[in-house]
Amino acid sequence: MHAARPSPRKTLLALSLAFIASAASAQTATETELARKLDQLAAELAAVKAQLAQIQKERAAQPAAAPAVAAAPAAPAATSSAAPSQPATVLTSYGEINYNRPTRASENAQADVRRFVLGYQHRFDAKTKVVTELEVEHAVSSADDPGEVEVEQAYVEHQFTPTWAARAGLFLIPAGLLNENHEPTSFYGVERNFVETAIIPSTWREGGVQIVGAFDNGLTVQGGITTSFDLTKWDATSTEGRESPLGSIHQEMALAKARDLAVFGAVNWRGVPGLLLGGSLFTGNATHGQATTQSRVTLWDLHARWTPGRWDLSSVYSRGTISNTAALNATLVGNPTLIPKSFDGWYVQGAYKAWSHEDYALSPFVRWEQFNTARSFDDLGPGLTPEAARTERVVTVGANFQVTPQIVVKADYQRFRENKDLNRVNLGLGWSF
Amino acid sequence: MRLTLAASAFAVSAAAPAGAFAVDYLSIDQAAKLMFPDAETFDTRDVTLDASQLQQLDAQGVKARSAHWSVRVAKRGANTLGFVVFDEVIGKVELISYAVGIATDGSVKQIEILSYRESHGFEVRLPAWRRQFVGKGTGSAIKVGEDIANISGATLSCTHVTDGVRRIVAVVAAARRGGALA
Amino acid sequence: MSIQRWLGGAVSAMALGVLGACGGGGGDAASSASLPTQQTMSAQAQLGERIFSDPSLSASGRQACASCHVETSGHAPDNDLSVQLGGPLLDQQGKRSAPSINYLSFDTAFFFAPDGTPTGGFFWDGRAASLQDQAAQPLLAANEMANPSKADVVDKLSHAAYAEQFKQVFGADIFSRPDDAFDRLTLALQAYQREDTGFRGFTSKYDEFLRGNVTLSDQEMRGLALFNNPAKGNCQACHPSAKAADGSFPLFTDFSYDNLGVPRNTALMQNNDAGFYDLGLCERTDLPNRPDLCGAFKVPSLRNVAIRHVYFHNGRFKTLKDVVTFYVQRDTNPEKWYPLNPDGSVKKFDDLPVQYHANVNTAEVPYNRQPGDTPALTDAEVDDVIAFLQTLTDGFRR
Repeated sequence: MHAARPSPRKTLLALSLAFIASAASAQTATETELARKLDQLAAELAAVKAQLAQIQKERAAQPAAAPAVAAAPAAPAATSSAAPSQPATVLTSYGEINYNRPTRASENAQADVRRFVLGYQHRFDAKTKVVTELEVEHAVSSADDPGEVEVEQAYVEHQFTPTWAARAGLFLIPAGLLNENHEPTSFYGVERNFVETAIIPSTWREGGVQIVGAFDNGLTVQGGITTSFDLTKWDATSTEGRESPLGSIHQEMALAKARDLAVFGAVNWRGVPGLLLGGSLFTGNATHGQATTQSRVTLWDLHARWTPGRWDLSSVYSRGTISNTAALNATLVGNPTLIPKSFDGWYVQGAYKAWSHEDYALSPFVRWEQFNTARSFDDLGPGLTPEAARTERVVTVGANFQVTPQIVVKADYQRFRENKDLNRVNLGLGWSF
Repeated sequence: MRLTLAASAFAVSAAAPAGAFAVDYLSIDQAAKLMFPDAETFDTRDVTLDASQLQQLDAQGVKARSAHWSVRVAKRGANTLGFVVFDEVIGKVELISYAVGIATDGSVKQIEILSYRESHGFEVRLPAWRRQFVGKGTGSAIKVGEDIANISGATLSCTHVTDGVRRIVAVVAAARRGGALA
Repeated sequence: MSIQRWLGGAVSAMALGVLGACGGGGGDAASSASLPTQQTMSAQAQLGERIFSDPSLSASGRQACASCHVETSGHAPDNDLSVQLGGPLLDQQGKRSAPSINYLSFDTAFFFAPDGTPTGGFFWDGRAASLQDQAAQPLLAANEMANPSKADVVDKLSHAAYAEQFKQVFGADIFSRPDDAFDRLTLALQAYQREDTGFRGFTSKYDEFLRGNVTLSDQEMRGLALFNNPAKGNCQACHPSAKAADGSFPLFTDFSYDNLGVPRNTALMQNNDAGFYDLGLCERTDLPNRPDLCGAFKVPSLRNVAIRHVYFHNGRFKTLKDVVTFYVQRDTNPEKWYPLNPDGSVKKFDDLPVQYHANVNTAEVPYNRQPGDTPALTDAEVDDVIAFLQTLTDGFRR
């Protein structure tokens, strides 16, 4: 007979037969001994099984001791890196590098490192973390250079219950669609839209406390008390206030006057996947006892975003008002930029992911926006009351090209109705992680 | 590339008791039972995909991320009711733990979010968003911006969870084809 | 009202009462906030006050600082001479008009701003670095108080009625050290000018308007609007009129320099020499090789401008109407302001050599006109602006 490899079945049969044979023949006192050994083996086997199950469970849960570099990036590599580990301190960053070329005044073409932002999030425990962001604008910041360095966010967040969390420190005001999500990868177009820069002064942050409630019906509510604007900063001789009324008087918590505080609230509903409806309201006095009268700044907005399939449709309306501007403007009559009583703007935007392949995606978009940074002025008397500004309308047509989900190349063309010299072509590169 | 400044001893324990931490909603056992209430036992199978299976997945456009997967087989008696896979992805900076339940026909039966810590995008937990995956199998795109709706302000979280579900669907299908989950 | 606010109000009322006696406005921000009263001036400042009014410190024995810097005229002369007379016999013309020395505690030493703008300094050409520095020069100038030397001044000081007080404050042996004593004298004058609220009252109608306590009349408001409007008067470009963000009240000067091409003043005997030109900033020995600065003089504060009697560095104009009209009609009607050449053309900018005519400001509103253009302000608008300027006089009573 050939020395064939014993098949498992044959081996088992042989063993069983041998076992039965020996069991049948040895009806001796060793029987109980064997029975005891059998029980012992069974118990050990059960223990080993349990251990194995435990180890398997732990292995499924525990991240492998992979080196820090292999901690799963957002687009995981196709090699055998283990499940992502949870780092306590994470560096975040985003950057925008832009090129603008006015079509009617090409001598004003400009290339700029618009923003370079570094931040970190550090998680103290499962419920508490700190979030910070530091921004450098226009590449070089010094007394002779155009750049600025600023702390954009610096707050602590604590989750009290699954529904309620609180933030304290310097945080973004939940207004519009852009302010809280202002990374270059989250908006269409090279430059941020005018409604959310000239009317809502993105990136708008205030210092204070905030409560966030996230409900199971898709509703998120936010509310808080923060620092307010500073109307005594209004410079009637410069054009800053005409470009963005609130942008010229925001304090950014830099030695901010804090006698007057503001309250805000925001409601956002995401109950239906792909749909967002929401609004916000911010109001606070802004003269801090340093002007002849008290004056209140109020800004509210409504926004919606719908992303059915490959479409991305969004719209924002925002309006701001300032009270008692007649008294504040009385001493500034004749200057080019007085404090407006109201200012507002809206836009509609549509984008479509026309082409995608793996991580690449090309999304052309169109945006139509109208805004007026001085919609009305309080009456100061004949010959003294400034005329309301003309409403500007900007149409932006372009495309975002996603290289990876966190890197985007953008190009667009913007047409201005009033200030035609601003018509321009824009190119931009942005990243965010 | 994310730089880890301090690799802490923080371990995501799937066995954390429910409600002990505010952002951990379910343990894996609870999730598995939710998905297959009729199951008597869950047998854990370790699946290792070989090179050819990994290549196949790559060809399908799925990045397997790991060759080793742990799949719980839901059984009632001798019948296999389905499969549960537990996984984690990073949203923007925080871990999202989730579980995918797959029916015997290979389509998604249910997904559950076990823990979520990001400041935005908690809506991935809502039944309405998770329901989008039910019934999708290897033939579906399972992609944000195609058949899965995004959550405004949480694109990264949605995309990574969606990619994770797509990956698990493909991995389970590959494992079953290879006989590892018989 | 809560107890705290009531108490706060009571304290403020008492403080106002104390301060109000000297016309110092209470409760404002930085520049006019906690003004010390006369009674609380330091010993140095009190000495400075006496020195300021002491005519014995001059060669003539009849001229003190206060002779040309009269408080009731905004610490400027109370006569309408283009330049004041000094010297031992009080018959020497000064080189330039005696300016108001109010609100100079906010001035700094001369410097060039990052964009090159000359800023700060004391005198019409900014040559003195501080009030102390400035106080020394009239004492020793031959055509002013005409003391031959510092020792001479100190000698006169030692015979003054307050000499004992001077020794008490600065040391019993101070008069044996004439240079030191002279330094202390000018220091005392500086302290007086800084501490006395009479030099920075902020008590004009416009200040009250900024505080929200009064409204301006319609004409004054029109004048303010024209003053501020960059397309009309554009005055605030050099004479800022707005409160700053830190709450400090406007000084109506940015302490910079401008070249207006003011017409030559034939009342000045120095101008009898056709080759003589007062070139202002570029004449300073510490600013050599700066021909672009020739003809530039300090922008004075417009506070109390309505109670002054002569205007510009050469005292060429005597009324505000002439001044404001000159601003807007210098270029549209130059024949009104400058002499004619033999051939009938206008000898514009006749107080500057030809090579420096290019330095004259012709770019900013309202100088940016041509002959025959409409002036930036009509005659009625000029009157409006003057009505506004009259609100800048300290000592307003409702």
